[in-house]
Amino acid sequence: MTLIYRAIVLFVLLLTVRCQFREKDFWKQATAALVVVPLVLRLLMIK
Amino acid sequence: MEWFWPEGFYTIVMVGSFVLGAFALKLPIAIALSGAAVVGALAGGEWFPLRHFVEGMFGYLDTILIIASAMIFMKSVQKTGLLESLAAWVIRRFRRKPLLLSVGLIFIIMAPGMITGSSTAAVLTTGALVAPVLIKLGVPAVKTAAAIAMGAIYGMIAPPINIPAMIIGGGIDMPYVGFALPLLVCTIPLAIFSALLLVYPSLKSGAGDEDELENELRRMEETPLSARLLLPVVLLAVLMTGEQLLPSVWPALGMPVNFLLASFSGLITGRRFNFLDASTEALNEAIPVLGILMGVGMFIQIMTLIGVQGFLVVSVLALPAWLMYLGMATSIPLFGAVSAFGAASVLGVPFLLALLGRNEIMVGSALSLLAGLGDLMPPTALAGIFAAQVVGEENYFKVLRYCLIPALVTALWAVFVILNANTIMGFLP
Amino acid sequence: MKLKGTPLTAVLLLLAAFAVAALAGLNFKAMWAEDDFVPAQGFEKKMLSAWFEGLAGTPADTPVYIQKGTEPGGVVLILGGTHPTEPASMVTATLFLERAQVTKGSLIVIPQANLLGFTHNSPQEAHPQSISFTTADGGKRTFRFGSRLTNTIYEWPSPDIYIHPASGQQLPGKERGNLNRCYPGVPDGSITEQVAYALTELVRRERVDLAFDLHEASPEYPVVNAIVAHERSMELAAMTTMDLEAAGIMMRLEPSPKNLRGLTHREWGNFTETMPVLMETGNPVQGRLRGRTDERLALTGADKAYVKAAALGRLYIPYEGDQKIEYRVGRHATAIMSFLLNLDLLNEERGVLLENIPTFEELQENGVGAYLAPLKL
Repeated sequence: MTLIYRAIVLFVLLLTVRCQFREKDFWKQATAALVVVPLVLRLLMIK
Repeated sequence: MEWFWPEGFYTIVMVGSFVLGAFALKLPIAIALSGAAVVGALAGGEWFPLRHFVEGMFGYLDTILIIASAMIFMKSVQKTGLLESLAAWVIRRFRRKPLLLSVGLIFIIMAPGMITGSSTAAVLTTGALVAPVLIKLGVPAVKTAAAIAMGAIYGMIAPPINIPAMIIGGGIDMPYVGFALPLLVCTIPLAIFSALLLVYPSLKSGAGDEDELENELRRMEETPLSARLLLPVVLLAVLMTGEQLLPSVWPALGMPVNFLLASFSGLITGRRFNFLDASTEALNEAIPVLGILMGVGMFIQIMTLIGVQGFLVVSVLALPAWLMYLGMATSIPLFGAVSAFGAASVLGVPFLLALLGRNEIMVGSALSLLAGLGDLMPPTALAGIFAAQVVGEENYFKVLRYCLIPALVTALWAVFVILNANTIMGFLP
Repeated sequence: MKLKGTPLTAVLLLLAAFAVAALAGLNFKAMWAEDDFVPAQGFEKKMLSAWFEGLAGTPADTPVYIQKGTEPGGVVLILGGTHPTEPASMVTATLFLERAQVTKGSLIVIPQANLLGFTHNSPQEAHPQSISFTTADGGKRTFRFGSRLTNTIYEWPSPDIYIHPASGQQLPGKERGNLNRCYPGVPDGSITEQVAYALTELVRRERVDLAFDLHEASPEYPVVNAIVAHERSMELAAMTTMDLEAAGIMMRLEPSPKNLRGLTHREWGNFTETMPVLMETGNPVQGRLRGRTDERLALTGADKAYVKAAALGRLYIPYEGDQKIEYRVGRHATAIMSFLLNLDLLNEERGVLLENIPTFEELQENGVGAYLAPLKL
């Protein structure tokens, strides 16, 4: 189950980054970057 | 003054920099909140505690996954044509019975919340199903959204699953047993009241132009309603109820997996759509909310670190008895701006301790109701934000305006239940 | 404040996010470094997996220290560190581990029962990552201050609702990571349930006569400065409570609630032959009314928010401005010693006696650090 959830985290992370690159507003890009931080750490099972 | 300094000052600094960022600089709420957390840490003499900022975000990691997957689910059933087709069917069938329809729909909105304990799940599933019905039948979009938001909150509080009540009970080692009837007392009258207030009047007066409605219904029925089209919704209902009602045999998949499985099943029903694009679209709409949750996580961690949390909680507890009920009815929903669960833990537990002696199950239920209202409180206002999204309203404050009366009545009802906890409990079998 | 976003800014922001994640990640990883313990002479070190093999090789496998006295007697267990946010628990167990000289029977000490709880902090609690003591030689002893729950990455995803396997009791899903809600444990359950199972096995197979589970509680929580006793432990606990009161240490005595499941004082009583005893001291750093949260608060318990709450009559402990760790450890240590004397009195054959534990007064006077072994470099 943990692996499935890591896959979900990866999926959400990739979608977030995709949205970040499509976004034309800097602050909304920054919002996406904020969301990226915990997703990366959980994907790598650090926190 | 000795009490106020410096934590009261920190409170003003943190709230002030949030307001400055969000309203004067017009930054996104997520950025304004994280900025306020950074300013708060600086003011509190903690410099730039990176570990605390990041750690705070993790309070909502699971919430993020639920929201993202629920949004993907909602996009999928929109794209397959299910939402409209199902709405058309309900309209044809129940249009002439407005009272049944308004109360029935509110209970349908509540159902996923009752089972999952999450208002977001309710708004984004049955809320999304009900929205087009109500709008087509002449209920203004913002009132529809308000009804969905309120229904979702009552669903989250209604039994069998109520996570704030579990959190509050857990704080005093009270098992989550015997809550079903007290929670129904807390929610059912309010749900009926909200339906009658927000939905019934518009349904009763009708949509107006019958021909136009007929044309609209035909358009909505383009994708015919079939068992196959219903698959995602049925699958989701089966997955969620199975997990909650048959926990001994059912695998604990969790809400994100349930939502994603149901979304995948949408691929083999109704209109074809590109799953990746639909998901990206879903996430694009969700990111502001996800970001707000991250900002709130940082904010609350710094509040705790520099002592603002204790300052606020004890200040509320210090109110004189007659003011305490008012304090309770306002501070718990207000703190819910951070999160309903957070409010249940941080304020719900101390209040329950302050009220020991009254029937604890009844009081705990009523406090959880107040905590549920937190899902209406900006800036997070999860129920309000998603309800606005479901009806296509950009400004969720317009939705919240219509939630005001039901929310006030809810708070009053909660206080009434607390004051009469023992009497009410005596009436229950 | 409008700013245009370009692919370049997206790349820069993404890199910034990675940098933040990397820096924070290093900090989180550092919490995995193990704490040093200096067992007193005579202690033999084993691992918990000796009682349940399933734990072998997992990061939850925690050290178990056993010392046998020369005179035959019973077996006593001191379990510390069930909840790492309750430092007096781990510190008291450490005090016994580093000082006790057993003269009769056997003493088993586990200072960090939920080892995985020590490897992280809970989000939004803003707890310190460690606490330190100064030893008699001026050196420093540092211990991790963790989370009430098992490290999330080992209990993730947590269910929405945690259903206690032995009773069907429902709790919020995250409580599956709360060791003291998982007893008697499940051999093929979650990692926390496995630790609970291993500990229950240890109590059962070592025929532990008297088992202490050390805790702390928020000052605003009614069960604080208290002994919670199973029916079987009640007589002994009542004797000890009276002795402590005679010595000026006020103690509540609470019967273990029969319908609150998953806790040591209920499940060890039901599933093993031991006399389980759970003890609580007052600990502001875990309370909901606490103000500034840091190592100082964990060690001194001095908090103006609690001063105000005490004046409002909201607390269940006498609070005069602080709740020092010396005081909290002193309560635990004195109560344990008193329990041992009464155990010997009630059942001489199964008694356990030990020496070299500082008295309540000595701890207040010299501090905890003075009684911890200096680290040999």
